[in-house]
Amino acid sequence: MSRIKDLQKNLFGGTTSNARQFGMIFTLVAIVLIFQIWTDGLTLRSDNLIALFQQNSYILILAIGMLMVIVAGHIDLSVGSIAAFTGILVAKSMTEWDLPWPAAIVFGLAIGAVIGAWQGFWVAYVGVPAFIVTLAGMLLFRGGNQFIGNAQSIPVPEGFREIGSGFLPEFGPNTGYNNATLLLGLAAAAAVVWREIRTRNTRRAMDADPAPMWVSILRMAIMVGVIAFASLRFASGRVGTSFPISGIILLLLVIAYSFYTRNTAGGRHIYAVGGNSRAAELSGVKLKRVNFFVMMNMSVLAALAGMIFVARSAASGPQDGNGWELDAIAAVFIGGAAVAGGIGTISGSIVGGLVMAVLNNGLQLQGVGTDKVQIIKGLVLLLAVAIDVYNKSQGRFSIIGSLMRPFRREDSAPPASPPDAERKPAKAAVSG
Amino acid sequence: MSNVPTLLEMRSITKEFPGVKALSDVNLVVRAGEIHAICGENGAGKSTLMKVLSGVYPYGSYDGQIVYQGSESKFSDIRASENAGIVIIHQELALIPGMSIAENIFLGNEPRKRGAIDWKAANRMALDLMARVGLQEDPDTLIKDIGVGKQQLVEIAKAFAKDVKLLILDEPTAALNEADSRHLLDLLRGFRSRGITSIMISHKLNEIEAIADQITILRDGRTVETLDVKADGVDEDRIVRGMVGRELSSRFPDHTPKIGDVFFEVRDWNVRHPISADRQVCKNESFVVRRGEIVGFAGLMGAGRTELAMSVFGRSYGVYESGTIIKDGKEIVLKSVADAIDNGLAYVSEDRKAIGLNLLDDIKSSTVAAKLSKISHHGVLSEVEEYQAAEAYRKELRTKAPSVDVGVSKLSGGNQQKVVLAKWMFTDPDLLILDEPTRGIDVGAKYEIYGIIQRLADEGKGVVVISSELPELIGLCDRIYTVFEGAITGEIARADATPENLMKQMTSTKKLATR
Amino acid sequence: MRKFFGTSVVAISAAAMLALAGCGSGRDGDSGSSGEAAKGFPANSLIGVALPAKTSENWVLAGDLFTNGLKEAGFEGNVQYAGASTTVADQQAQITSMVTKGAKVIVIGATDAAQLSTQVAAAHAAGVKVIAYDRLITNTPDLDYYVAFDNFKVGQLQGQALLEGMKAKKPNGPYNIELFSGSPDDNNAGVFFNGAMDVLKPEIDKGNVVVASGQKEVKQTAIQGWKAEGAQARMDQLLTSTYGNKELDGVLSPNDTLARAILTSVKGAGKPTPIVTGQDSEVESVKSIVKGEQYMTINKDTRNLVKETINMVKALQAGDKPQVNDTTSYNNGSKVVDTYLLPPVAVTKANAAEAYANDPKLAPLTK
Repeated sequence: MSRIKDLQKNLFGGTTSNARQFGMIFTLVAIVLIFQIWTDGLTLRSDNLIALFQQNSYILILAIGMLMVIVAGHIDLSVGSIAAFTGILVAKSMTEWDLPWPAAIVFGLAIGAVIGAWQGFWVAYVGVPAFIVTLAGMLLFRGGNQFIGNAQSIPVPEGFREIGSGFLPEFGPNTGYNNATLLLGLAAAAAVVWREIRTRNTRRAMDADPAPMWVSILRMAIMVGVIAFASLRFASGRVGTSFPISGIILLLLVIAYSFYTRNTAGGRHIYAVGGNSRAAELSGVKLKRVNFFVMMNMSVLAALAGMIFVARSAASGPQDGNGWELDAIAAVFIGGAAVAGGIGTISGSIVGGLVMAVLNNGLQLQGVGTDKVQIIKGLVLLLAVAIDVYNKSQGRFSIIGSLMRPFRREDSAPPASPPDAERKPAKAAVSG
Repeated sequence: MSNVPTLLEMRSITKEFPGVKALSDVNLVVRAGEIHAICGENGAGKSTLMKVLSGVYPYGSYDGQIVYQGSESKFSDIRASENAGIVIIHQELALIPGMSIAENIFLGNEPRKRGAIDWKAANRMALDLMARVGLQEDPDTLIKDIGVGKQQLVEIAKAFAKDVKLLILDEPTAALNEADSRHLLDLLRGFRSRGITSIMISHKLNEIEAIADQITILRDGRTVETLDVKADGVDEDRIVRGMVGRELSSRFPDHTPKIGDVFFEVRDWNVRHPISADRQVCKNESFVVRRGEIVGFAGLMGAGRTELAMSVFGRSYGVYESGTIIKDGKEIVLKSVADAIDNGLAYVSEDRKAIGLNLLDDIKSSTVAAKLSKISHHGVLSEVEEYQAAEAYRKELRTKAPSVDVGVSKLSGGNQQKVVLAKWMFTDPDLLILDEPTRGIDVGAKYEIYGIIQRLADEGKGVVVISSELPELIGLCDRIYTVFEGAITGEIARADATPENLMKQMTSTKKLATR
Repeated sequence: MRKFFGTSVVAISAAAMLALAGCGSGRDGDSGSSGEAAKGFPANSLIGVALPAKTSENWVLAGDLFTNGLKEAGFEGNVQYAGASTTVADQQAQITSMVTKGAKVIVIGATDAAQLSTQVAAAHAAGVKVIAYDRLITNTPDLDYYVAFDNFKVGQLQGQALLEGMKAKKPNGPYNIELFSGSPDDNNAGVFFNGAMDVLKPEIDKGNVVVASGQKEVKQTAIQGWKAEGAQARMDQLLTSTYGNKELDGVLSPNDTLARAILTSVKGAGKPTPIVTGQDSEVESVKSIVKGEQYMTINKDTRNLVKETINMVKALQAGDKPQVNDTTSYNNGSKVVDTYLLPPVAVTKANAAEAYANDPKLAPLTK
């Protein structure tokens, strides 16, 4: 096998050695580079990167929950309203009932849990389709927000604002960078190396050949390079700024939920239910419990997203959460999830969300109006999914499909088998 | 016969998919007015060939020539082939359940009068077409209210509405019971006498032997041979030889049962229908299973065999009313599938695609899906153990796949069934309930699956096999219960079992119509 | 394994070095920070203008005027509107982008006056001057200037016109009226309402004017998002519930869009046209006034407001302190903001031709 093929097969993705993994990340990188050139380097400037994460962390947090909802075969239209409803209650709890802000955050998550239990009950135990339940929820909690807030904006205190607009502290020697962010970068780089070593060991245990050594090293070098670049960028913003706290919350959630969906029985069950609920049920999966959990989890994350937005806006307002559900759903589908459920990954959704975010940000930097930005985003969503569907129906090599496929639960790669061996099973699929 | 004109000739058809040659130099000659059977194992290329013929794969996407009614045809889509009188009836019926028979017959082909659909004419024509296929129903009856057998007839009536010259049937009797199958075959004979040509794809070799004039056998995307049933004196064994390329000395592996004591018992089992509560689907049913024993359940479609099995398997069907389950001398209560799995029960469903497997999964995750706890440590799944378990079963069951990372949707029926078996073997069950374990599976794979079932029994597990094929039950099972209308009507030891006495008990008090 | 580590270390350090090199030197420190603004900035600098969604003609006009006005003054203008549904988040992102692009002054017509303090703070920290245009941004110490029409005066003019109009039609009271106010998240809505009530309250107390529905609180009269359909729906309900057999003499409407919605509702119910106030001099409303349907509007000439704002930007560019005329009344919750107030003008059919004489779009309508 030539080195080029080795590279294609093995370069990108932690455990996945798959040429296709390249695609989705490639799209994101391409968009970033195009805008980097178009905006004369503004896109990758530290203040813009920081703003990008602050502006989108709450949408990406929603995308995590939405991915699980969509994989389980449902949809949640109420996330924006739940975020707004939680936001106003949390703001009130601090300004009017004098709740200290950490308690207010717990209070907010509890509201999310209660709302989630309410929606989960209807979806899982009564069997009302999630589309209907959450459409009702959308109205219910939007109205609730305006009822409680009298459609006014309620400011929140300084401490609380940290979760939306805060930064890591400045400490240690003056390195010309934010030291906390640098440490974070180091930790991430160490994690990448550790993971690569672990993957190699796992693959060896599976009697599969790990990727060639030089590919492993190249892959690590690229990842570490990206991490180094990013952490230096984030660390070199204006004094007092760093990698944002909301970004750290997002990062922790991505890691935790990726692990949950991929490496635990609970996560597997979500995919099983979405893939074939009857088969899952007959395999001992507690359908109702899974459905209840994904709906409830979504609401808790929506509550968190709402609080982060309120913290960033320094006030809870009646417009909060408008249209968020659509942004989150778009991110999940661009990230390769299937409308019918059963397919999709957290990392794919995050990349999908980032594609939209970078597009939005870049166009704004270029001074393109929101009207046109919306048109472009709509077309991007449609095209991304349409090309995929079209190519699949034609049985041809699908660009987007190949871009997305690595994010579709093939997280442990096929062992390095000769390419023609991989093709054999396809034969059974096309005939008989 | 050789002077009968040729209706269709497909000449050296080659169809490639990226990286796969699905058909390679396939030839098919169909004479006018005959019933031509196409046989082959799953994956041999039968369906692909029919898709080429019917324009699903348009002209230009394959190599070779289709000569139909004396001239070369270049169908660009299904509509083009239908206009030429070629109609294909797929295994999965293309009917709309919420529409009436008449609406379905004329769907896409509605008789019009000044732009509006002329329902009066439609119903009149529908009645005429229905009479031709022997279907006696009100044309306004909804499809969902008639049985599968009659639905099949509606499909054929629909084909007649399109003025069919060449009728292609893909596994027409797979979902039908004996009576309906017999009716359908009679119908095909009737068509033949009226000069309509049929191509029939089927796994049921006895039917083919009984009805076909010629048989073309495909293997691995190539034509093996075309047999003339009468002239060549073809029988089932001859067809099997062509299909698998070797002799199958026996359809069942040799087996000496090692039967132990009764360990599983169901007593006075009563279950009601999940929707219409006044319908009792299990009536006071009791049965026992011994260790190392293969127990068969015979019954007609709708007799309540699957319902019994599923209601025992953690109440996954119907509304439990009364009855006890005793395992190893102790009563157990199975309120959910998870309870059943924990108590050592496994149920392999009759419809592996619809409810047996998640077709989005790969072999690996399908294998461990029913018992994730076995590969979890502190709640974290071990990818290594998952891989090892799946790989071990792949080797043990000889599942044909390059690796366990292959998606199950890409496997043939027989290999999918092996994955399902692996999934349930992985749960370490004491009792396996197999519902139609060989439905839609080709001869070679069937033989292997029988072997697996026998091995499981020899390990001391109890195996329950539900099947509509009486020879299968007789060949495989040590003891057979018969079920009729939700009640167990008899229990017959292997030595005493014949198709005749089973059928007699399966139809309970009714007298079996003797030939 | 050792070889693996050796090569890895080399490769990874190389990658890290490369990234470092690509990044250039450390942080830009506080190069652009607050500092002394008095020094001004280059005349061709970027000036950002962030406006709400294009829901009213007025904002569209203001956007055009800013685009042209800033260009004429030699600045590089960047005018952005918020999206129709995701208004606040859009505006936040737009302001941040403007800071990133190095705008020297950002003019903000806020969608939600309370939800921009983080962005205003970021702008301030980057040394950008922030001017609140038409709507006061609240809860931030980092806002520099506020420029607007005297909105309390607007309310007073509306109240007076309402009384005069009703008197002219029917010499003696008591008059039945209904009250409408604007979006509760718009700081100005309350100001208009209070101005109007400043005039109407004494008459209501005397019993000369009656709010027949009894809905006198801001909360009850508010129309979320200044949406026409909201006003129409509320008017429909009022007509059914209260004016079955009563005469409706007048309606206090805070702006033209709502005024026309109210008139549509009244017409739909087949009632005689009441005296309806308005504001903003929108084209349709001016036509309506000339026709004798809507009674009055306020001419807050957007041209003057934009002109005054651009004057402020020019002063800042030159390093001067912009002219303000009110340094006491506008407290945004964190500080008293230096404000320049422009006087509004009440327009009825009687003085329409005179009031719009200089307006190329409206003048022809009055002839």
